[in-house]
Amino acid sequence: MCHCYIPSLLTVNYRSLYNETVKNKVREDKLRSRIRKIARFYYQKGRMPSFSEIAEITGFQSKNAVFKLVNKLEKLKVLERDDKGRLIALSIAAPVKLLGTVEAGFPSPAEEELADNLSLDDLLIQNPEATFLLKVSGDSMSEAGILPGDMVLVDKGEQPKNGDIVIAEVDGQWTMKYLRKRGENVMLLPANPKYQPIKPKKELKISGVVTAVVRKYR
Amino acid sequence: MDNQPLTIHSWPRAILHLDADAFFASCEQAIHPELRGKPVITGKERGIVAAASYEAKARGVKRGMSLYEVKKVCPDIVILPSDYETYSLFSLRMFEILRRFSPDVEGYSIDEAFVELTGLRRSFHGSYGMIAQKMQETVEAELGLTVSVGLSITKVLAKIGSKHNKPHGLTVIPGRDIHLYLKDLPVEKVWGIGPNTAAFLRKFGIMTALQFAKKDEHFIKNHLSKPYQEIWHELNGRSVYPVTTEEKSSYQSISKAKTFTPPSNDETFIFAQLAKNLENACIKARRYNLAATKLIIFLRTKEFRNTGIELKLSRPTAYPSDLFGPLREGFKRIYELYSFYRQTGIVLAGLVSETGVQYTLFDDPARIEKMSRIYHAVDDLSRKFGKYTVCHAASLPTKKQTQHEGERGDVPQRITHLFRGENRRQRLGLPLLHIKV
Repeated sequence: MCHCYIPSLLTVNYRSLYNETVKNKVREDKLRSRIRKIARFYYQKGRMPSFSEIAEITGFQSKNAVFKLVNKLEKLKVLERDDKGRLIALSIAAPVKLLGTVEAGFPSPAEEELADNLSLDDLLIQNPEATFLLKVSGDSMSEAGILPGDMVLVDKGEQPKNGDIVIAEVDGQWTMKYLRKRGENVMLLPANPKYQPIKPKKELKISGVVTAVVRKYR
Repeated sequence: MDNQPLTIHSWPRAILHLDADAFFASCEQAIHPELRGKPVITGKERGIVAAASYEAKARGVKRGMSLYEVKKVCPDIVILPSDYETYSLFSLRMFEILRRFSPDVEGYSIDEAFVELTGLRRSFHGSYGMIAQKMQETVEAELGLTVSVGLSITKVLAKIGSKHNKPHGLTVIPGRDIHLYLKDLPVEKVWGIGPNTAAFLRKFGIMTALQFAKKDEHFIKNHLSKPYQEIWHELNGRSVYPVTTEEKSSYQSISKAKTFTPPSNDETFIFAQLAKNLENACIKARRYNLAATKLIIFLRTKEFRNTGIELKLSRPTAYPSDLFGPLREGFKRIYELYSFYRQTGIVLAGLVSETGVQYTLFDDPARIEKMSRIYHAVDDLSRKFGKYTVCHAASLPTKKQTQHEGERGDVPQRITHLFRGENRRQRLGLPLLHIKV
């Protein structure tokens, strides 16, 4: 992995420089790539390079060429020199990620942080092989925040527990309700006062546990 | 003599074969719980039975029957259009569940898999039979369909096991019991032995799988070719076929064919059907980095008469614009004016790796390079916005009529029951339960 950094201030100054003096793009690109090389050195080593190190990374043969480059960069406020002539990073120290030719205004996020991200899939689906979609049509769970037209994720692999919202077949009828288990007693409770709790008379088959509800607005 | 075991080793290896019962129909019953226990068939769009539920089979419905016949033998039949999207999802999930038990899973077809279990007894603290039972239970619980499982010491024997007791069977055949299962098994029921070979073997008095297995090696080597020698070893408990876990990464040929109803005599429409098949096949070829050296075109008339032609290509290619020339030429030679056609198809054959393509003296590398960039962009667009986002104008006349007019034009519910954000080409990769709650 190699990141390219370029001073953020450069864009503005560069443009004036471009208009005034630089006639062709080749020169601009060359300068850009040299700044990038110096910036990379700064990020890898944590310090600015010496003149001879600049010569090495840019491929210059003489210190005089380096001197001229440094003068140019100093004018652009990319860097400055202290009283002993050593280089101090200015805009070169404020990195922005180079996205094509457009410099984004935000510092790049650290790689390690990205690696820990969960996707929405990972968050909503614990058991990918046993999870199914279901489109809700009734309003018996409206107070639990599940409305007609919503998409619920149903996990067939989970063991249904007291308090879970379940998809169940009761005496031949399919329903989505809260599961209430008290010892031997099993009840299905709606989350809408318009509906009555269900007590299975003959048979109760729980086909899955609702693990999430998804509603997309636009 | 029949009581003599073929081998005394019970478990030199352990190979499991899992076969889903009436897979397509079972998937439909899993997502439509109200269809459980009812006779269900799929294949409405094809006009014939693609899969029949066990309830339908019990009523005399068989694979390949025409829908008209089915309605006669079973008037209360539920006929559904094939929903391959859902079946594929179930298939992938089935393999994924098996991989929880062993990393060596070979998806043999959409509804069958081999699993290598050798050495796993210690991690599951139980016998191979117990592991097999657990696998079966997990698949059945999580997917809501039944599977039949065979467990033995070779692939051929495992497959005999899974067929032994269907549906929802679990058959364990340790080495010392092989002969008990082969004794009454007709030899043509063995995986890889067809009616012709069976007829040949009958000439030598071989009727059952056991008689075949007990023949001496000399006879087998003298009379049969290598594949049958391998089957003979496998039946004797010597494993020859490994469980191959790699996904298929290459093909010998790629074919695409589509039927349309009603049959048509419209030349542009029929050519467009061919062009679409060609585009489809090329998409697949490019996905596997393959290029074709031969193009086969075939047409099927209303009367089920087939005509075809094979064309050699000057350079291996997977770009439709290279192939339209030969396609049109071949089409002109086999197309008969005023005939009604019901199906067109193409085969890309003689596939070679795309990277090894040699340009001939008369090729224009710059033009080929340009074409490669164009199709690259087309493939990228398809990935992003769905298949056929960009297609050749030659394929457009396929839109003149839908693939199947009338009753057979019914599409699976998954395509009509869309969530916000889904479209006809792109949908969430989860099966949809059709339960009203």
